[in-house]
Amino acid sequence: MNPIQETLDELRRTAGVKACMLIMADGLVVAEALGARYREDVIAGLSSYLSMTTNKALHEGELESFDTFTLHAAHGKAVFCDIGESFLVVLLDQFADIEAGRREIQSAVQRLRRSSRLGS
Amino acid sequence: MNLIQRLKIWKELRRLEQRVREEPSPSTFVDLGQVFINLDMLERALQVADDGLLLFPDSAELQKLRTFARRGVDRGRIDELRTRLNKSATAKLYNELVQIYLESGDQGSLHATCEEWSVRFPSDPGPWLAMGQARLGNYYRDISAREGTEAVQCLERAIGLEPAATRARVLLAEMLYRIGATNRARTLLDAVPTGSDDGELQNLRRQVVEARSLGSDLESLLRNAEEQGLLPNAPPTAAVAAARSEDGIGSIRDALAAIAEMPGVRKATYIRGTRALVKGDIKDGKDPFLRTVRVVAKAGHRFSRRLDIGSFKRGMLQGPFGVICICCYGEVLAAVQCDASAQTERILAELQEVVASSLYAMGVTP
Repeated sequence: MNPIQETLDELRRTAGVKACMLIMADGLVVAEALGARYREDVIAGLSSYLSMTTNKALHEGELESFDTFTLHAAHGKAVFCDIGESFLVVLLDQFADIEAGRREIQSAVQRLRRSSRLGS
Repeated sequence: MNLIQRLKIWKELRRLEQRVREEPSPSTFVDLGQVFINLDMLERALQVADDGLLLFPDSAELQKLRTFARRGVDRGRIDELRTRLNKSATAKLYNELVQIYLESGDQGSLHATCEEWSVRFPSDPGPWLAMGQARLGNYYRDISAREGTEAVQCLERAIGLEPAATRARVLLAEMLYRIGATNRARTLLDAVPTGSDDGELQNLRRQVVEARSLGSDLESLLRNAEEQGLLPNAPPTAAVAAARSEDGIGSIRDALAAIAEMPGVRKATYIRGTRALVKGDIKDGKDPFLRTVRVVAKAGHRFSRRLDIGSFKRGMLQGPFGVICICCYGEVLAAVQCDASAQTERILAELQEVVASSLYAMGVTP
């Protein structure tokens, strides 16, 4: 198993994390660790849409791209982290404590950054 | 379509119908409705949208599905009525056709059909009543004096052709009462036989008797209402909502000012529909920050809905620009741009308070 997949699998085991995925900005899936109820193409497409729209809106407002986007919805949460050429997408349930899980997410981000640098 | 394709579609339909029963959500209803649309079974699609809206009345996707299906059903009905009208035109068929246009808001087609109807049946008050209703709808929406004058002319024409026309009299009387011409409204209502009163008509009669007359010059009454953007005798619900909303705006402004004073906060805004309050380092409503937060909230909302995790409530963007916190409910949103060192959790809680209190002021329960 490659280090990217290992990192995602490990992150997936964190309390409250339902799914995680590494995608390119255009929605191409690099690696994923999803639960049975999630469809890879749906999450990749929606995440790509959200990150691209958000960054475009930030650029139009003369601001730089985001590093992290934390989203709270009525029945779930999502965290998007910029890893250079790609994004880490983490889906959590509505009861998940994002602050408690932030350390695991940040550690996964750093490992993924390292892995993607080694791969390039 | 061959038999195997048909069987496949029916199997998929059965699966989707079962999913709707077992896991009802806006997207399962939309998926099922979409299949019915693809099969050109628009009435079934409309039924699915209506069923879904009973469970999820605020779902934008279901409302879109309903609008699309309704339009398709109407189109079929319009074609059928047009064919029958070409064979033998009757006032009843014209009436059915304009009712569809009235409901769908297709004013161009409504106008053309009413013209055709009045040319073929010059003594029928129907086309003038339908045009009056359409103009009246526009008037109540925009409070434009021009639309008001047109509505009065159409309804008066309908009454002229059929003096016993109750509907036209009541509509005209209500409009005259709303703009303050209560004496003329009273005269119109007096000619309506009391035996036909329903609750609404009784209520209108009572209101007209109690209201003070502001004059009888319709032109100036309509102009005054347009200038003030308000009907002197607006429906009570609208008046209460406006008052509550005005009461609330002062406290929202104060709360936003307090947030802008918090350490590290650079910009703060409260947005409701097209209106915005701004505090901090924002000059006016044209600041690009407003557009940025609107777009991000809308994209967040779409993402959450499509992923079936409910509606977007809060968002936090971190980057070289610091932190952007967004809190929203429906069309109301409050957002802040602050330094990375600011107390974001406290700021988010304050933003949530601003949104919740403004919803209370509007009479909405979050």
